[in-house]
Amino acid sequence: MTHGDRMINFTRIIIYLVLYAVNAMLYVFLHSHFYFTLLILMTAAPFISIIAALLLKRGIRISADTGLMDTKGDLSVSRGAYSVRQREEAFFSIAIKNPTAFVCLDADVELELTNDFFKTKGTKKLTVPLRSFEGFRSELPVIAEYPGIIGIRIISVTMRDMMGFIRLKKRSDAHAEVVVLPAYSGALSMDGVNLQQGVLESEESTKRGNDFSDVQEIREYIPGDKLMSIHWKLSAKRDILMVKDRVSMSDKQMVILPELCGRDRMELEAILSTTYTMIRNLVTEKTTVRLMYWSAACYEYQDVRIDYTEELDTAFEKLFYEQTYENMDEGASHMPDVHPEMKAFVHIKAEAGRAMVGVRENG
Amino acid sequence: MSEKDIEVCEGLSIGKSFFEKKENRILTLFLKGFTVYLLTMGSIGFYMSAFGIRYNQLLAHTVIFVMAMLCAMLYYRLLVENLGYLVLFISFAYLVYVFRTYINSGFYAVVNITVQNASTYLDVDVQRLYTEQIENRYVTVTLFVLFVGIVLDVFLNVYISRRMQYVTVFCVIMSLNLIPLYLVMEPDVFYVIMILGGIAMAYVFKVGRHYSPQVKVKRDNNKFKQKLQGMGKHKRAQLDYVYDVRSMLQAGIWTFLIALLVIVNVRAFKPVDNFNVGHEENPYKQLTMSGISTFMLEGFQGFNRNRDDNGGLNSGKLGNVASIKIDGQTDIILQFTPYCYDRIYLKTFVGGRYNPYENTWTSVEDIRNYEENTPEANAYRNYYEQNGDKSSRGVMRQLAVDTNGVRFAAPYYMSDVEFDDSRYAKITYYPYIEGNAAYVDEDEYAGEPVLATDLEVPRENIDIINSFIDELGMIGDDNHNIEMVKDYFQENIPYTIKPGKTPKKEDFVNYFLEDNRKGYCAHFASAAVLAFRAMGIPARYVEGYAVDYNQITMNGELVEGESYSDYYDGYSELGETALVEVKVTDADAHAWVEVYERGKGWRVVEVTPASDEEEDTDDFWDMFDKVVGPQDADGLAAGGALPDINLSISDATLRKIITSVGIAIAAVILVVICIRCGHIFVKRAKYVKANNSDKLIMKYGEFSKRIARRNRAYKACRNYHEQLAFIHRGYESCGATFAYDISLEELERILDKAGFAGKEISESELEKALSWIASVNVKSASKNPKITIEEGDIVE
Repeated sequence: MTHGDRMINFTRIIIYLVLYAVNAMLYVFLHSHFYFTLLILMTAAPFISIIAALLLKRGIRISADTGLMDTKGDLSVSRGAYSVRQREEAFFSIAIKNPTAFVCLDADVELELTNDFFKTKGTKKLTVPLRSFEGFRSELPVIAEYPGIIGIRIISVTMRDMMGFIRLKKRSDAHAEVVVLPAYSGALSMDGVNLQQGVLESEESTKRGNDFSDVQEIREYIPGDKLMSIHWKLSAKRDILMVKDRVSMSDKQMVILPELCGRDRMELEAILSTTYTMIRNLVTEKTTVRLMYWSAACYEYQDVRIDYTEELDTAFEKLFYEQTYENMDEGASHMPDVHPEMKAFVHIKAEAGRAMVGVRENG
Repeated sequence: MSEKDIEVCEGLSIGKSFFEKKENRILTLFLKGFTVYLLTMGSIGFYMSAFGIRYNQLLAHTVIFVMAMLCAMLYYRLLVENLGYLVLFISFAYLVYVFRTYINSGFYAVVNITVQNASTYLDVDVQRLYTEQIENRYVTVTLFVLFVGIVLDVFLNVYISRRMQYVTVFCVIMSLNLIPLYLVMEPDVFYVIMILGGIAMAYVFKVGRHYSPQVKVKRDNNKFKQKLQGMGKHKRAQLDYVYDVRSMLQAGIWTFLIALLVIVNVRAFKPVDNFNVGHEENPYKQLTMSGISTFMLEGFQGFNRNRDDNGGLNSGKLGNVASIKIDGQTDIILQFTPYCYDRIYLKTFVGGRYNPYENTWTSVEDIRNYEENTPEANAYRNYYEQNGDKSSRGVMRQLAVDTNGVRFAAPYYMSDVEFDDSRYAKITYYPYIEGNAAYVDEDEYAGEPVLATDLEVPRENIDIINSFIDELGMIGDDNHNIEMVKDYFQENIPYTIKPGKTPKKEDFVNYFLEDNRKGYCAHFASAAVLAFRAMGIPARYVEGYAVDYNQITMNGELVEGESYSDYYDGYSELGETALVEVKVTDADAHAWVEVYERGKGWRVVEVTPASDEEEDTDDFWDMFDKVVGPQDADGLAAGGALPDINLSISDATLRKIITSVGIAIAAVILVVICIRCGHIFVKRAKYVKANNSDKLIMKYGEFSKRIARRNRAYKACRNYHEQLAFIHRGYESCGATFAYDISLEELERILDKAGFAGKEISESELEKALSWIASVNVKSASKNPKITIEEGDIVE
């Protein structure tokens, strides 16, 4: 039976009362000092046990972190939100510090493991002892099948008193996160170079008569700027010369747009893995990549320039905070409206559980 | 996800490495062993200290502690358990055999002391004490305590180590310890602390998770285990810890301290000495005290009351009892004046017709108008009134306490009976004393004095009876024939109260005379009646009580304030006695024969032979004695006298025990050393035979083990590269200089070559690597509190 955070083990209490009654009868029958002592002990013990449990509950401190413990159970390295790959063990450290002298031989730690990006969540009960002046510390290896931000939350610690009559629950919001990056699968089946050329050629053909460039920002005129860069309309409005700062498209920059469609987790995992592997391959080949993805929460594109592998990892960490959407074409569908100047991009989506990579012309 | 990973939800699981963590299980086993020791020694000390029985406590504590630990350790491995129990049993059996006389004597000493204390408390005069073959109680009790301690260690270990069944254990250890408490004898506080501390520890351990998920004894060292919780589709795996020695130890210490505090405080505020001052015993306890007294006097048979049988005799019903059941309780309270040395018969049932195969006697009252020897009584009264020689008149008062509805038992020869307000029957009788010449006139009888039934022998019995008579030999006059039957019984058929039941479809008398050839009074009387009848002597079967003169003198109590003359007048063999009250129990129940003799009427004939076999009078304690009693042993003289028992023997015995224990411990140490030496020898032999690469790998393996023992994080290093980095950082962390002739890159190369390349390293490479291994300070190398090995760590 539960009363809020306090649970009473009536079965054990009844058994204890029966034992108490038997011993009381023996005491009445024998009038023995031994049974008198036993009855006093049986009377006092539950109170001592429950008081100890209450003090223990008040005293414990619950925390969660990431990293490994050393042999003494201390956290050797707290890595913050460190990252691992898919299917690798990510280590969380769970610590329930017990500064009191009391001990608990049966404490249930209610853990919640989440991957918000993939919308998966589960709880697991872990039964541990709480040593006096020490508590419990352990590292928990978590293996993620899907990439994302893996969070662990200690929901509560429920302690049973030493006599086993009551359970006291202490709630907690201790949590820690580990970034699980998609697995890098090496070479992709599609021809990355051709894909890249395709995108670039597409850009070139649509911008014939213009330079191969794209507006990166608009700024005030600096002597030396090309006249063709002046944004005449804006200059007229502001009464000051403004120029469009163009970035050339001919320096091997590629736009990649993965669909963050979460209707099927396997498909989403395939999209992310393919995207990650593709970008990493391109970056390794010194190709600059623009990772664009549709942010359903902000209702705009997130645009990240990636030149190095570290930037790729950072970009994915940020991506994992996004929300997925249901429409497999959602990301690409907004491109003509939001980025009409974009003529083509690499579109990564999934069909029938497999990632599909293709060059998509805008509009 | 591997098969052993625990799935939490889709795509997330807890790695199996979590529940593969190991814990030192040996310490847990020791903790359980210590609990067993507390309970075993506490239990024994409880009893012994309550009765103040002296024994060598130090030796008892030592042996019981060591045995408790050994027993607990048996659960380490299944093989250890099986072999261990076997070795333990054989050793124990051998020791018990060697010291059986001592153990027996120790047991008797404890029983005797217990009985003496119980006799004092219950105010029961128990004469029966057991002969202790060896008088030195200090030695015998010590050995007995060791015997019980080892047995309890083994027994309690099963309950404690496997399941921590504290209720069962408490019931076991308190079962016998209720005896001193019943007798208001309290144990020493030390043993109270041991018992209550131990049982409290067992309770707390049981409540803890270590036992909750365990169905079987776990024999691996995994710290955690998976347990399925819930039902049906809600069933899910939960991770439970199994072993955590430190928390169990802390909980044990806490519990023990609380028990200690409570006990000490209770003793301080409510001392044992005046605990029972002014206390009156519980009425229910008082009720049990009479039963306990019976038990002490007669053992369990005292409780086995068969009211219908009334000591095996039940209104002519024969053969349904295997043995006479005596409850030892009073059946009749008798007040009379003793007048002769002979047995006094009080009859309650007279059987006239024997019913073969039904194995019953039909009461004479159902056959004829029976007047309870009225003609005889009248004749004796007349003779008394005429002041005949050796005539007398007596008055007997009887209170029927437990006689199955019989209101009184008629003495020979009862004249009349009346009942007063106190339910006492006042009986006037005219006793037959040898020499009394009263003549019983046949005309006094209402009908014929002898009916056909008094001479009737059923045809089912006639053949057996005739052959029995043939066996008797020559037939003479009635008195001669009666004596012949009596003599025959005395010489040929033993008396026993345990003849066994008469089998179904067998006749009681036939089975007695032909097959069983042993019996108690009912057998002899029934057979004799039929034999007498066959020889033409009118006879009847009679049941009742027989009170011996000795019983009167030993158990009788004088009734004060009563005049002798009110109860007796006339001739008495004993002279003028006094009114005596005798409690007649069903132990006095008896069957005999009445034969008719012209002029003397119906008179008593005793045909039951005297019991001359000790085994046939066994009570519970006798049987107990036979089971656990001393055996003739080599070196022991018959009759239990030990040829050279004196104090020096006790010292020798103790020396023997200590030497045996010492030899056992030395043997264990020797075996361990041999195993260890064997390992070293084998290893050394392998090393000598190995090539350079293998030599390096072996040496490096030992070196790695030494570091891993000091710092378990070292085990996480997956290759030589990481291991060397670990060692290097260990040196850095403690500020030690790490400078050697060989660089770590070079060493790693050599190790890789030796370990993986399949090529043999050169002598110089081996030498370099070995010198590095020899010079590394393991302490510094393993002193690495915060190390994480990451791929790409650079070894400088």
